[in-house]
Amino acid sequence: MSIETATRRPVVRSGIASFFLPGLGQFLLGERYRGGGILLGFVVMLGTTVWYGKPLWYAAPILIWLWNIWDAISLANGRARSILLPLLFGLAAAYGIGWQVVEIDFSKANMDRALAILRPMTRPDFVQPRREVNQMWVPVQVPCSSQPPAARREDAGRAAMVIPDCGGVGETLIVNVTGMWADAETNVFWQNPIGNPLMLGEGEITMLTLTTDENGSLTTTIRVPSTALVAAPDPTLPQFHRVYFEQYRPTGGYELSFIGNEVLKGALATVSMALMATGLAMLFAIPLSFLAARNLMSGNPVTYAVYVAVRTLLNILRSIESLIIAIIFVVIVGLGPFAGMLALALHSVAALGKLYSEVIEGIDPGPIEAIRATGANWLQVVRYAVIPQIIPPFTAFTIYRWDINVRSATVIGLVGGGGIGFLLIELIRVNNMRGVSAVFIAIAFIVIVLDYVSAKLRERLV
Amino acid sequence: MLKIQNLSKTYPNGTQALKNVSFDVQDGEFLVVIGLSGSGKSTLLRCINRLIEPTEGKIIWDNVDITAAPPAELRHIRRKIGMVFQQFNLVKRSSVMTNVLSGRLGYVNPWTSLLGIWSQEDRQRAIQALDRVGIADKAHSRADALSGGQQQRVGIARALMQDPKLILADEPVASLDPVLSHSILQYLEQLNKEGITVICSLHFLDLVHRYATRVVALKDGVKVFEGSAKEIDRAKFKEIYGEEAQEVRAASL
Amino acid sequence: MPTARILRNTLITALVIAAFAVSYRVTEADFPRLFLDLPKGKELLTAFLTPDVFTREVETRTVSLVFPIPCGSAPTEESLPSEGPRLVPSVLCAEPLEKFTLEGYDLQPNSEVVIRWRLPDGRTMTAIRTQTDANGYFTYEVQARPIQSTVDGVASRLEVDTLTPVGELKPSQALKDVLDNMFVTIFMALLSTTLATVIAAPLSFFAASNITRKGCLGTTVYYLFRSFFNLMRSYDPLVMATVFGFWLSFGPFPGFLALTVVTIASLGKLFSEAVENIDPGPVEALQATGAPPLHTVRYGVVPQVVPDFISYIIYHWDINVRISTIIGFVGGGGIGYYLNLSINDFKWHQAGTAIWAIVIVVWAMDFLSSDIRKRLT
Ligand SMILES: Nc1ncnc2c1ncn2[C@@H]1O[C@H](COP(=O)(O)OP(=O)(O)OP(=O)(O)O)[C@@H](O)[C@H]1O
Ligand SMILES: [Mg+2]
Repeated sequence: MSIETATRRPVVRSGIASFFLPGLGQFLLGERYRGGGILLGFVVMLGTTVWYGKPLWYAAPILIWLWNIWDAISLANGRARSILLPLLFGLAAAYGIGWQVVEIDFSKANMDRALAILRPMTRPDFVQPRREVNQMWVPVQVPCSSQPPAARREDAGRAAMVIPDCGGVGETLIVNVTGMWADAETNVFWQNPIGNPLMLGEGEITMLTLTTDENGSLTTTIRVPSTALVAAPDPTLPQFHRVYFEQYRPTGGYELSFIGNEVLKGALATVSMALMATGLAMLFAIPLSFLAARNLMSGNPVTYAVYVAVRTLLNILRSIESLIIAIIFVVIVGLGPFAGMLALALHSVAALGKLYSEVIEGIDPGPIEAIRATGANWLQVVRYAVIPQIIPPFTAFTIYRWDINVRSATVIGLVGGGGIGFLLIELIRVNNMRGVSAVFIAIAFIVIVLDYVSAKLRERLV
Repeated sequence: MLKIQNLSKTYPNGTQALKNVSFDVQDGEFLVVIGLSGSGKSTLLRCINRLIEPTEGKIIWDNVDITAAPPAELRHIRRKIGMVFQQFNLVKRSSVMTNVLSGRLGYVNPWTSLLGIWSQEDRQRAIQALDRVGIADKAHSRADALSGGQQQRVGIARALMQDPKLILADEPVASLDPVLSHSILQYLEQLNKEGITVICSLHFLDLVHRYATRVVALKDGVKVFEGSAKEIDRAKFKEIYGEEAQEVRAASL
Repeated sequence: MPTARILRNTLITALVIAAFAVSYRVTEADFPRLFLDLPKGKELLTAFLTPDVFTREVETRTVSLVFPIPCGSAPTEESLPSEGPRLVPSVLCAEPLEKFTLEGYDLQPNSEVVIRWRLPDGRTMTAIRTQTDANGYFTYEVQARPIQSTVDGVASRLEVDTLTPVGELKPSQALKDVLDNMFVTIFMALLSTTLATVIAAPLSFFAASNITRKGCLGTTVYYLFRSFFNLMRSYDPLVMATVFGFWLSFGPFPGFLALTVVTIASLGKLFSEAVENIDPGPVEALQATGAPPLHTVRYGVVPQVVPDFISYIIYHWDINVRISTIIGFVGGGGIGYYLNLSINDFKWHQAGTAIWAIVIVVWAMDFLSSDIRKRLT
């Protein structure tokens, strides 16, 4: 009889305790982590449910609560239930909530659009066949003055003319050119006085492309583009516009395309940004790391306070992504790689400072004692016992950081921090997927190569 | 009966571990393979169940050519050949029970066992196997919580689960102390008396004399001796182990 | 020999210096500008340090007057009131860019003042924010809007809002929005990590040399998976998110997908290394029992790698929370998106709230994950 009451009491007690506060029963039975975990899980679940306020979701915290009571009773009876069940349930509930919160909707994944994006990406715009140009132009006055000069021009055996010599917007002109390459595709386009090209093809949005005859001449009619005078300060003032004829032909071999060139520049900027940032960060992190090393600073209360302050600062700084810091620097110094570099540097100071200080904390006290025993002063101890120990790991960590910074530098451009990321965002904005593909290849190349190089360098150091 | 015919093994790096080795093993024998370290003992044993693919030669077991068996049939053959390893080769993080049960994988329903579900009968069998090697009480411990001798007994229990006709034991006692060595080999001897053929590689001659019904000796991959343990006299010993080996022998005996 | 070494060291030093010199040029580093412009950051920093967490309900009162620019483009205010809340400009009209003094009398005391232009088409342009004193008085030098603002004879107006906090302190809208977006962020990390785990765990076995690299087919598969993991891993999730965002339009979903893809690669690589580092003994033992290949993996490999896998998963969850806080910058939704919006709208206090939330969450995750991983080993 007495045994029965002795065992029954904690059962009832823990059940009731857990009824009122999830986890309390387990806690009272000595399972502190279990109790705490259950309470935390319950509170998080309840909080989420209350926050989103959908009635059905209340089932989740209620189920956890019920399980918790059952668990407390089983525990009091000496049977520990597996924590796996509520863990899986919690995960499932989190999934249910998360699915809606993150707006996951695979029906939005339009495969046609994906293909339209991917198809041009199979042909990265990096190089193009080397080619030469044959360009000719002729001036034409728009709108007409009382005595327009002749709209004809000769140059290097080629001649071009427009009939009549001038025209107004929307009027039809006859253009003729001779002495171009024979049987070659020729682009004909308009250029306004400030140098902007205007297209003459269908609807003024396509290029007018024609083929020259066997003598290299070409005649066609064009209309003065409707936008020819948009940029003019005074549309009634006659000005000289130009009609251009342009032919290309491959000369064999390949050359960097315009985008390819930009990608190379961006890649260089990215690697440089990372290098500068790492170097700059190293300069600041080294002194800071000594202040953040516990073994050097825990001597007296003043230095200890400095240690705590520096540590806290580094920790806060480290948890702010360089991307966020970049936004601030973009506001301060403007768009460009300089802002990105500063952001990377600031973040790296924190990261390197922590790594360095851990190195300092981990150095072997033996040599220090030995050097001190020879009667050396503080500076000599640092020079002969500390520095030799920390140089290799410092260098290794710095190289490692450079590697990480290159990765981060690729994204810092996305918020205006310059480098290849900036190019990427610009290309996406104008829907140039061939260029995007070139950028992706370049990023993979830089990152993988630097990964390899840095691993090899670090291997040699340790 | 197991027939090994002109067996050779050349590793991809060019090492010739076995050179034209042939011998027969009768059912019910306790055959011990001896030889210096690197002489090819492990290679020989692993060729028998084709954990290592032989380069040349044949291994015929009860009129079935093991060397020519396609993968499915090979697995069928392996079910009947238990193996005990020097390093025990247990899954350290799994329980003793799971380790023993996994000896049954060649037999059971592939789907349920993939989910970790085992029939009551298999569990019973596992408990019996553990009981035979005297550690039934450890069934629910993690394997790495056991001592070396106990782990090796789990290894034997796992082999027993296969219901084997042949047991290959590759230096089963090399990482154990002499007392434990005897107890492990006694279990093997017991099984041998019940009709299971045992092929075992050993280092210590006293153990060879005590347990072997027949001995095969290898030197640099060549079979240099075949016969009963008693026939190994001082001259034979020198041939097998080399001139400098005397003191080791003295110490080990 | 020493000359060779000196030569080598000099060469390396020269190379490093050259690399830094090139980088200096390429990054357009301009340190003087940094120091000259640093005061600009002060406003930002003070705003960040005073995040918008609690507000009182604000009562807004508006006074306005007609103010033609340039003079003569429209009739001016006929007479200015002399009592009650009123605005008194030093001139009744102004030329573009002309500066004049604007005073306000008997407005709400100790209130924030927003001075702005209301253009004839109804749009507004904020000119300045200032503060009234205890008597409800303020004075400020205002610059007339730089371009002609009268349209069809309707002049623009000068409006002054006084914002007086009344009522009780309560959580601000910014705090609510930040919490809302933080949920999205944390769930994004949770979902992408778990989904990536489910996919990467089986795939990682294909990229483990000890499991797959057998025979011609196996070797091909091995290298295929390995290069896939290495390639995808080299992209930052944000870079991925740009393309996914372009495909799926903006929101948390593309951010989640981008994060998942990169995590699959990264976890796949880590997992496959864990698989490669197992003890081969048990696998061999299982093969020797005649177990089918899948079972060999299930009973011989999986139990060995589970602790490593769990540790990597938690580590990655930590990283993913970090990344999903910023993935919104490229249209991935969540707190980063909110932060980006706040910054683009120059709402620095609001941005400060978001940044603090990020710091707290990242810090907590960092602590939690390292603690759990320490416990596991
Ligand atoms: N996987 C392998 N690749 C290449 N060579 C190997 C391999 N395994 C073993 N060898 C070589 O084959 C020879 C025989 O090795 P084996 O392991 O069979 O010897 P052993 O008699 O079992 O030695 P021990 O007593 O040390 O276990 C040795 O020279 C060894 O170096
Ligand atoms: Mg061996």
